[in-house]
Amino acid sequence: MSQPIARAVQTGDLAPDGVLPDGSRLSALRGQPVILAFAPDEWDPTLAYQSEIFARLSREFGSGAAFVDTAAEDWHALDCRGALAAQFGVAGQRALFLLDEYGVVRWKTVVPPGQDLRPGQVLAALEALNSPPAAPSSGGVFGGGLSRRTFVTATLAAAALLLLPGCGDGGGSSDQDSPEAEAAASGTDNIPVTLNINGKTHRLQLDPRVALLDALRENLHLTGTKKGCDHGQCGACTVHLDGQSTLACLTLAVMSQGKEITTIEGLSTGEALHPMQAAFLKHDAFQCGYCTPGQIMAATALVQDKNVRAGSAVDIREAMSGNLCRCAAYPNIIAAIQEVQRA
Amino acid sequence: MHPFQYQRADSADQAVAAVAKTPGATFIAGGTSHVDLMKEDVHHPSLLVDVSALPLKQIAAFEGGVRIGAGVSNTAAAYHPDIQAKYAAVSEALLAGASVQIRNMASMAGNPLQRTRCPYFRDPAQACNKREPGSGCAAIGGYNHVHALFGASAACVATHPSDLAVALAALDARVQTLGPRGPRTIAFPELHRLPGNTPHLDTVLEHGELITAIDLPAFAGRSHYLKVRERASYAYALVSCAVALEMDGPTIRRARVALGGVAHKPWRVGPAEALLAGQLPTEQLFQAAAKAAFADAQPLEHNAYKIPMGRNLLVRALLETSGLQPLQGPAGTAFAASVGGVAGQLATPR
Ligand SMILES: Cc1cc2nc3c(=O)[nH]c(=O)nc-3n(C[C@H](O)[C@H](O)[C@H](O)COP(=O)(O)OP(=O)(O)OC[C@H]3O[C@@H](n4cnc5c(N)ncnc54)[C@H](O)[C@@H]3O)c2cc1C
Ligand code: FES
Ligand code: FES
Repeated sequence: MSQPIARAVQTGDLAPDGVLPDGSRLSALRGQPVILAFAPDEWDPTLAYQSEIFARLSREFGSGAAFVDTAAEDWHALDCRGALAAQFGVAGQRALFLLDEYGVVRWKTVVPPGQDLRPGQVLAALEALNSPPAAPSSGGVFGGGLSRRTFVTATLAAAALLLLPGCGDGGGSSDQDSPEAEAAASGTDNIPVTLNINGKTHRLQLDPRVALLDALRENLHLTGTKKGCDHGQCGACTVHLDGQSTLACLTLAVMSQGKEITTIEGLSTGEALHPMQAAFLKHDAFQCGYCTPGQIMAATALVQDKNVRAGSAVDIREAMSGNLCRCAAYPNIIAAIQEVQRA
Repeated sequence: MHPFQYQRADSADQAVAAVAKTPGATFIAGGTSHVDLMKEDVHHPSLLVDVSALPLKQIAAFEGGVRIGAGVSNTAAAYHPDIQAKYAAVSEALLAGASVQIRNMASMAGNPLQRTRCPYFRDPAQACNKREPGSGCAAIGGYNHVHALFGASAACVATHPSDLAVALAALDARVQTLGPRGPRTIAFPELHRLPGNTPHLDTVLEHGELITAIDLPAFAGRSHYLKVRERASYAYALVSCAVALEMDGPTIRRARVALGGVAHKPWRVGPAEALLAGQLPTEQLFQAAAKAAFADAQPLEHNAYKIPMGRNLLVRALLETSGLQPLQGPAGTAFAASVGGVAGQLATPR
């Protein structure tokens, strides 16, 4: 084992700043918990053998499928032979660091060569994070999204995964695995789920926990429907069930069987845009476009809704209040809807 | 999310039997509260019994009032002509709650059974006796600006978040259930419990007891719901109130008042109701009633603002229900029920 060049960073230390593989600085991630995992193998979530292990671990930690996106998008594969590893004093070693929002090391572990990081250790890391902060972390009463714990669980699961490929058989006993995690892993089987989406029938095998949103995006690659908050608070995932606007993130896929599901992909006919899509384009009713599929699905349901007074901007605002737009394209969205209502 | 088994029920009997015999089993209807909390790791049912396909979706005249099936969507109930015309408070409470999408999904039984929005309840890393009995209450001594003024205990200071429940309490709705021991009727004000030492129990429903319908009794007066929130739409109430007035010529024969956002259950205020009965409606009277309604309030560190806010809200609701002051929007709509919101107030030139 090679000697670390720098003194190993300890729990309680302010983490050294360094450059991540994408060129950004570690300090730019302040404000959220960060996991740094140093390992010899490159992590690539698109590699089949890795995603299989990934799925297994995610089940073990009971954190669901929701974080796969987060982990895949925010992942930085850190080579244990790179500069950052040296800065942390763990060059050549497999190590895991957990930084809090302020960039302070809250937990670390260095895995001896030939050994494996076990779920038990990861759960210990979760415990370390459980000392309650003064105010709740998950965005207050009206907030939501990933709670700190979910985020950490998710990222730790991913981090643990990184250490798995090529870790061989060292320390393979399972006595540190939590019994709960094992029960979770064996708890549910996939069940047949038949979904009628945009006029086509899809037969899937799904875990009953899978939300319609994830079935659309992950299983059927209908990625037009967006995941914003995953908790019913933003409207980005709006689809139609039997013609009514519905949140796909709070609908279990298994419960949407027997209903006509329409997604943004089902609105246009061939190359011809739906009038609402055309109106959004004409009125420039978006900036980044992330909320747009949800806005358009809500808007197309709205113009059919006899309870909404046509043409009234006040009514439109109220009826569209479930669709948030971080870019604040609201006036243009209202103009687009009014145009379709008039047509 | 923890793993669970899933089963779709074809009949109410089957649903009750399935939940009753399985520890940890729950019903699921629209899923807007339950799935959210399952994702947060707050709820972990062993078995989900899906009651959304049960034939409990009718709204029909019943004993001079209206019977609403448990599976009726919040949207369908809110816009039903009889409900909108005769029970405006119900439509107003529904339409001023959540969003179009959520109201389309949410059921009339699921709505009053949604869980508290206390942030400590929603965060499994925090102490919460409601989520995990015996773990303590992080809201007491924590950040408690949305918490209770009335009926709280040393174990729990959470409030009930449903708007609909407040209107149903004021109108003395009745809940029809089917349980493992047969059917029963529960007066709505008795459905929810106070926290006491067992805050993990929100209601008096037994394990496996299914709500089949909600009855609105005959009512010939005017009712109204008003809600203050942190933004003008798509937000829970900070404080709300439902008022039901029945008149005898110019005098108030009977008044019923329920407050929302202030207790573990919709809070009926008997002393205020008694003060109003038999009187001529005046602003002075309403001020006195509002004062009486909040006389016993026991604020925590961060929620004393709810007392003047609630008093003012109740005075306004009484003025608007009695006709002394116009409604802010058409009766039975969200526009009548909404107090500007912070954004709305700032936008109003003074
Ligand atoms: C972002 C957001 C904003 C919201 N804003 C508001 C708001 O402003 N005001 C407001 O009042 N609400 C609001 N809500 C809450 C919403 O109204 C409720 O989640 C909804 O009404 C619950 O109904 P459901 O059918 O989806 O219930 P579910 O989630 O299916 O079930 C809720 C509970 O009821 C039980 N249950 C369901 N049906 C029955 C039955 N027939 N018999 C016995 N038990 C049953 C379930 O087991 C579960 O415990 C909001 C929700 C979200 C996500
Ligand atoms: S993803 Fe935000 S509401 Fe569904
Ligand atoms: S266009 Fe960017 S969020 Fe709406």
